Amino acid sequence: MKKRRIDIADSGALSDLAFLLIIFFIVIAVFNINKGFILGIPKKESTKVVNTKDIIKVKIDADGTLNLDNEIITLSDLETKVSSLLSVSPNLTFLLKIDPEVPFQEVVHIIEIAREMSIDNFSFSMDENLQ
Amino acid sequence: MKIKRRKRRAPIVPINSMSDIAFLLLIFIMLISLINYRKEVKIEYPESDFQEITQGDKNIEIWIDIEGNYYYNGDLNSINNIEGLVAQEIAENPSVRIHILADKNTPYKNVNSIVEILKLLQHRAVSLVVKGGKE
Repeated sequence: MKKRRIDIADSGALSDLAFLLIIFFIVIAVFNINKGFILGIPKKESTKVVNTKDIIKVKIDADGTLNLDNEIITLSDLETKVSSLLSVSPNLTFLLKIDPEVPFQEVVHIIEIAREMSIDNFSFSMDENLQ
Repeated sequence: MKIKRRKRRAPIVPINSMSDIAFLLLIFIMLISLINYRKEVKIEYPESDFQEITQGDKNIEIWIDIEGNYYYNGDLNSINNIEGLVAQEIAENPSVRIHILADKNTPYKNVNSIVEILKLLQHRAVSLVVKGGKE
């Protein structure tokens, strides 16, 4: 009986493997894209005139507690407050004072709210007095 | 006389060279991924459900770990060195996109040091990198 020769190229397994590897590398390349928020940085010691009624001042303490006009509020309360203020004054200016010791994640939560609600005038700075 | 009809063979597409093409593609993509090689620093990314793509044409990454160590494009550096490197990069390419990748538990003062440098250098925008929140 004649022995059948096996040709690797005919089997097609090699090209399948290569294509799987190609797909793997293409997927890996997508992971390098950064996602997040783009924030405008004001010039040092620059000033901007805004209506005092359009300003909302929020402070985050070291433990992540939110203060709005010396009143402790939750994140969801802040969201409701901001959306109601936005309906009254669309040019709302959001000022965020951050305690130096607050974990970065807490700051991200506030920025997320501001970006989600498309607040153009969003300013954040560290509370220098507490440093 | 009986004329023999030639048997028509079914057309064959040669696929033997397919694996060669595949491997060439593979080598090409592997080389390209080496060019895009990015040094990762071990941090816990801050989480956010809302996010946008912040990647620019030219990017630099400043990593801040939980202990407040700074890394410029993945290499450990002091804050003073980073200031010099960022200033040089901005001078060479003013439209460079600067990404801050800070650990979610790092104190904000560490992030602020970088923001202050960018303010001083009058760089207009910064990208704060986050990952998708837990679904």
